[in-house]
Amino acid sequence: MIKINKLLKIFLILATFGTQSFALRQNEIEPVMHSKIEKVLTVLRKKESNTIRGQEIIRTMDPVFDYSLMSKLALSSKTWDSITPTQQKEFRKLFITRLKQSYLDKLDLYNNQKVIYKGVKPYQKGRLQLQTEVVGKDETYKINYNFHNSKNSGDWLIYDVELAGVSIIQTYRQQFAGLLKEKSFDEVLTQLRENQPLKAKKS
Amino acid sequence: MNARKVFIIVLLLSYTNTFADTNATIQNDSTKSSMISTTESNTTNEISTNIGDTTSFDEEFGDVNKTAVFDPFSGYNKFMTNVNDKFYKNIAEPIAMGYSKILPEKARISVNNFIHHLRFPIRLANNLLQFKIKNSAEETGRFVVNTIFGLGGFFDPAKTDLGWERHDEDLGQTLGFYGLPEGPYIVLPILGSSNLRDTVGLAGDTYISPLNSADADNIWYKIPQNTTQDILIGGVEVINKTSLHLGEYDLIKKDALDLYAFLRDAYTQQRRQKIKE
Repeated sequence: MIKINKLLKIFLILATFGTQSFALRQNEIEPVMHSKIEKVLTVLRKKESNTIRGQEIIRTMDPVFDYSLMSKLALSSKTWDSITPTQQKEFRKLFITRLKQSYLDKLDLYNNQKVIYKGVKPYQKGRLQLQTEVVGKDETYKINYNFHNSKNSGDWLIYDVELAGVSIIQTYRQQFAGLLKEKSFDEVLTQLRENQPLKAKKS
Repeated sequence: MNARKVFIIVLLLSYTNTFADTNATIQNDSTKSSMISTTESNTTNEISTNIGDTTSFDEEFGDVNKTAVFDPFSGYNKFMTNVNDKFYKNIAEPIAMGYSKILPEKARISVNNFIHHLRFPIRLANNLLQFKIKNSAEETGRFVVNTIFGLGGFFDPAKTDLGWERHDEDLGQTLGFYGLPEGPYIVLPILGSSNLRDTVGLAGDTYISPLNSADADNIWYKIPQNTTQDILIGGVEVINKTSLHLGEYDLIKKDALDLYAFLRDAYTQQRRQKIKE
């Protein structure tokens, strides 16, 4: 009986973590990200439908993002801690969906621009930053991926992306803080839900 | 005048490794809903109730109340953001779309190269003022190479063949480099997001710009000689630039929970980063 419980536990742990993350060791950040980004670019060049391409891209990029942390940081810990677990769960779901959708929307604009890899540099408080550049028609844009050592386990995950000097998390923090001055958290959730036209269509 | 247009800020948003193209196509709805359903099923795998201590992250991003942009003119600014939005949607974008159908992209990139080429004095002056000697030398080299081998600046062989990148610097950045605070956030007509310091900088840059007639009697390299010509050149600049960034502003609008706050914060963050560099 005890054994079965133990097995069940192990199975559950594997089921949760196994599907979820494939976190990177420090020295893997650059090569793995390089191959992931190139994979995304290859998928984009394929002639397949957007559905299939989108799924493939999300599958490629998902494992290296720390979505849970990003959700909390986007709200700021203070707000995060002040809401109920149900609200946290709901927020995380809506926020992550939004993040992914907006990522896919951007990819639609891709037109064979070249990506240059500038290497992994030390970043704030022991964190690391993978620096890349995209050569656009008009300018060259810096895109930096910020990694943190998840739970100090030696597994590195992305918690923020900076585009041309603008942090995604920071802009969300400011926007949510502004919205929460005028609205209740549930109203913000409603706005998030309504801003996702796809969901509205389903119902 | 250069990096400040509202629609340029659009660039900030694409957190992908990819960038805009005029031929962007919008996904159809069925595609999107199926994507979303994938993403949803993925998120259920990621639920971990314990995120751990995030104090050090809160230090990194700062207190949202303290990092907020100084914005005493928000009433006017919101109004002007709205005006600019209408201007973009109803005037700049439709004209740029027509223009992009007439002129192939390669030609529009050449026009863009030429405009940047003529702005060389602004970049040189501001690189020098910030003691960026290597960049100043590279800028000068670029000007010479592109004048001779780039048909007077319509092509950019300095970048494509020699790898000499353009080093955009403006007076707003220079003033920031010398420690001048950014002052209140200001939304300029057509040009979009700015602040007091950058607006002062813009005036200075405009004064030395070959593409503006300010003090044309005394500065020999001025191309336009009067305000009418200024407006014509400015119009071509805006439309040409818009034509190279079609579709981007719409994505920003779709992404932003609060467009005004988004544009303001993104602009401020971007400028701070540029001054640091």
